[in-house]
Amino acid sequence: MIFRRPWFHAGRARAVAKKEIHHVLRDPFVLAMALGVPVFLVVFFGYVLDFDVKRIALTVVDHDQTRASRELVDLFSSAAYFRPRPPEAGRTPLESLEEGRAKAALFIEPGFGGRLADGVPTRVQIVLDGSDNQTTGVVGSYLGGLQRAAARRASGATPGRNVELRTRFLFNPELNSRWFIVTGLFVVAVGVLSILLTALTVAREWETGSMELLLSTPVRPLEIILGKLAPYMGLCLGAVALVYAAARLAFGVPFRGNHLVFLLACVLFLACTLAQGLLISVVTRQQQLAMQLSNITGLLPATLLSGFIFPVESMPLFFRVLTSLLPPRWFIDCCRGIFLKGAGLRELAVPLGALTLIATGLILLATKKFKRDLEP
Amino acid sequence: MRIIIFAIPVVQITVFGLALSNEIKNVRLALYAAPTDALAQDLHRRALASGWFRPAEGNDPDPVGTVRAGRADAALVAPAETLDRALARGEGRLQLLVDATNATKARVVENYVQALLARTLRDRLGRGPAAPVAFDVRVLYNPTLTTSHYLVPGVMGLILTLVTILLTSMSMARERELGTFETLVAAPVARWEIFIGKTLPYVILGMADVPLVLAVGVLGFRVPFRGPLWAVGLAALVFVCTTVAIGTLISTFAKNQQQAMMGGFLFLFPAIQLSGVMAPLENIPAAVVPFSWLNPLRFFVTLMRHLMLKGTIGSLYWTNLGALALLALGAGAWSVHRFRRTTA
Repeated sequence: MIFRRPWFHAGRARAVAKKEIHHVLRDPFVLAMALGVPVFLVVFFGYVLDFDVKRIALTVVDHDQTRASRELVDLFSSAAYFRPRPPEAGRTPLESLEEGRAKAALFIEPGFGGRLADGVPTRVQIVLDGSDNQTTGVVGSYLGGLQRAAARRASGATPGRNVELRTRFLFNPELNSRWFIVTGLFVVAVGVLSILLTALTVAREWETGSMELLLSTPVRPLEIILGKLAPYMGLCLGAVALVYAAARLAFGVPFRGNHLVFLLACVLFLACTLAQGLLISVVTRQQQLAMQLSNITGLLPATLLSGFIFPVESMPLFFRVLTSLLPPRWFIDCCRGIFLKGAGLRELAVPLGALTLIATGLILLATKKFKRDLEP
Repeated sequence: MRIIIFAIPVVQITVFGLALSNEIKNVRLALYAAPTDALAQDLHRRALASGWFRPAEGNDPDPVGTVRAGRADAALVAPAETLDRALARGEGRLQLLVDATNATKARVVENYVQALLARTLRDRLGRGPAAPVAFDVRVLYNPTLTTSHYLVPGVMGLILTLVTILLTSMSMARERELGTFETLVAAPVARWEIFIGKTLPYVILGMADVPLVLAVGVLGFRVPFRGPLWAVGLAALVFVCTTVAIGTLISTFAKNQQQAMMGGFLFLFPAIQLSGVMAPLENIPAAVVPFSWLNPLRFFVTLMRHLMLKGTIGSLYWTNLGALALLALGAGAWSVHRFRRTTA
């Protein structure tokens, strides 16, 4: 007898969801992971990660030993970015750099103070260890400010005809890099965990054989997909609420936007990542493979290509286009926009639209790939 | 599976090597100045020509609004009377509004503008090199500050960890889930023989990835390779043994594959964040430093950077290698011990 089943029936999706909730509740380990781990990661790494390079070990070779040279060294230590110290016994300054015991060296030639007093332009040499990635770039940007300060001190007051640059740092006047890190970590932790949570669910059912049982019932692919998504969405939103509280209470990250807009962005983002996990699981049907794929498409791209640390706009054009396929890249925009800038729906139209498109695309793809045949 | 083990690492190192850069580029700069303000216009033109800046999108009369909406990362606001006239009166003041959500970037943007302003003024006022003190900065080992040179050795470590940890952490859990683990234990082999037999294939697989990623780094990105080959090989071997041992240890704690996967993630996430690839190691708070000593990735990234860019074998090489070997022994011994406990 052939009978037609409706394309989608909410009751059947609800039944699948109920089954999935039992799965989650039966395994307290997964439940604890889903709720506890994002909070832990954000709090711990929000505290640990710090991009403001401080206390850089600086070997000072002062061959001048005058007041002027000591003042210059003081300038380096007063900024708290550098930790000046004399050359190590038995090692040349370059050997200290070579072995990673110092990150920079400052050489002051004899006669530095004398030339400065005579008004002759003088140079001091600074050597940086270029094998350390972030440090060198950041140190370079400190040096600009220090050089201006040194020049100002040497020449007394600024000469009359000059333009003074007044910089106003918007949204984060104290240049607290923690706010930036915490909002980014939030995205990475929640995003990767949500992919992992769903990546195994369908694969596991194929491996244990319960998928065959499920297929013999009248549920349709879309019902299975949505039924499996819904409980995890609830679980992840719970995790988001906890992380939100941690970010506000532990790090004092301001929340300048609208909570409803934030909720919308979270739901869209989670729909993307959960669907990504499901798609992986549907395609691979094998837990080990599913895990590999979810880490490859989840963990590294979310940390490296999302703009969490390396700015997207510095990437070559091809990769700027490629990253627009990654949900974390858009959600980081939303998060930082809503938390720090108070952006609303109008400002976030592009990221929110992109997230909607990606989520719809992934859910449809997962449904389509969901083969009903038993042979892989 | 074969694709994941051999092709994906090559793709990953290529993508990350090409895409990632610490340099701040393409900063969108909006200018708020009268068209007749020659000095401000000149500064803006130079900014765009420098390659660091791009013009802002759209045309919003409110500078703060432009930055908030994300159409510009920075805005230059000249005085209403024009900068030229203000300068003639001796009190030129130029305002720079920077989106400081990314504090590091904001600081770099300010420095760019300062440098450009100094150069513009020098050309315009015809003053000589007025700075009484100049810094002569030399960068060793990577003089052009090419990002890929310091990033590729780090990303190599990330990829090797990812492949080996994920493969091994699930292997034992799967056997337990399928019930074949009992058969294995009932067979007349010693615990340590099971351990060696189960881990050796993964060590070989991990080592097979090393020449692949090295080749991409050296041939594709022209990362210098200054250290001896044997030293790189030895470091990679000890590192892969360490990660495989840690993966096995995770596996002995997991009841099923999902738990193993979560456990693997719980190890990978901190290991990546505390590796020195993301943020400088010097900034780790003292209370957390002991944790970073448990991170094999941290030692390996230091080793690879040192070997590839500096190339000397000194105390730094042996201490880091020793730390890795200790971790491998510790994790290996613990997993053999766990075998005994969980199966007896």
